[in-house]
Amino acid sequence: MALTLFRGRQRESAGQIFTASMADIVFLLIVFYVLTYKVEVDRTRVQLPDTWVRVKIPEEEKPAVISIASQQEGFLIRVSTGEEMSLPVSTNEEIVTFASTEVARDPNKAFIIKADEHVPYERFDAVLDALKQSKAKYIYLLSDQKTVEE
Amino acid sequence: MRMKKKEIASEIFTGSMADVSFLLIIYFMITSAFSATRGLDFALPEDTSTPQEIKQEDSIDVHVLPGPVDAPPVVEVDGQSMPIDGMLPYIAEKLQQNPEKPVILRTDPDASYGNMIAVFDLLRRAEQPPPDGIGMKIETISIPTQREIQNIWSLLGVGR
Repeated sequence: MALTLFRGRQRESAGQIFTASMADIVFLLIVFYVLTYKVEVDRTRVQLPDTWVRVKIPEEEKPAVISIASQQEGFLIRVSTGEEMSLPVSTNEEIVTFASTEVARDPNKAFIIKADEHVPYERFDAVLDALKQSKAKYIYLLSDQKTVEE
Repeated sequence: MRMKKKEIASEIFTGSMADVSFLLIIYFMITSAFSATRGLDFALPEDTSTPQEIKQEDSIDVHVLPGPVDAPPVVEVDGQSMPIDGMLPYIAEKLQQNPEKPVILRTDPDASYGNMIAVFDLLRRAEQPPPDGIGMKIETISIPTQREIQNIWSLLGVGR
């Protein structure tokens, strides 16, 4: 009895997760996100058409974005200057006014058309016509990379 | 006997650092966007006071007809219905006569945007060596709008 009292209790090592490197990983992630951070000015979810040819759109010029949503959203058209969040437009005149203002501000302003592949061409045609009327020079049609299987 | 004073080591409290860090990570993850910034480009012609003369026979007319997006696009080239695979060889023949020949890409209003893009992509790939392309670059691909087409028809005196 006395022996067991003096022997002392065995030290139990508690199971623990090594967290010393967690701070490094967390900061690495923070730095990554800070560097790649870019506010999405247009949150319209579209199924972009796939193409083989794809050119890089110069982001430095902050192109304006005109999006045409899918059928679920009623092919709604939204416009964004490239710096502010997109706003819905209902008439072609509004697109012309928007594009004309942007072209007046910068004659070399580029426009990105982000349209769902199921959008009727008529809808796209109205946007293109509005841009032509506004004397826009550079237009980019957003697309996804086509893969070999397709 | 004098007791030694217990020295309190100065330290920065880092207990909440992990919380703050994770909060920042979550914020950046949710709000950041890896936006797709690639696609097809085309430059519109400069605005000139002297409009170019329209010569109907000097261009290749590609007309995209309505059809399902998932299926190969249905096209008419110079008024002839042809499979999409036959379009580039036909254009190659025409370009051999005149490499500067422009291609006018017209799309039916009832066709889908995806079909037009598929044909436009194919025309842009023409400069690729066979079998992907025809090894000849199409210098000018014009995409007129319905309003412009109507204007051309009215100029030519054709009712459509």
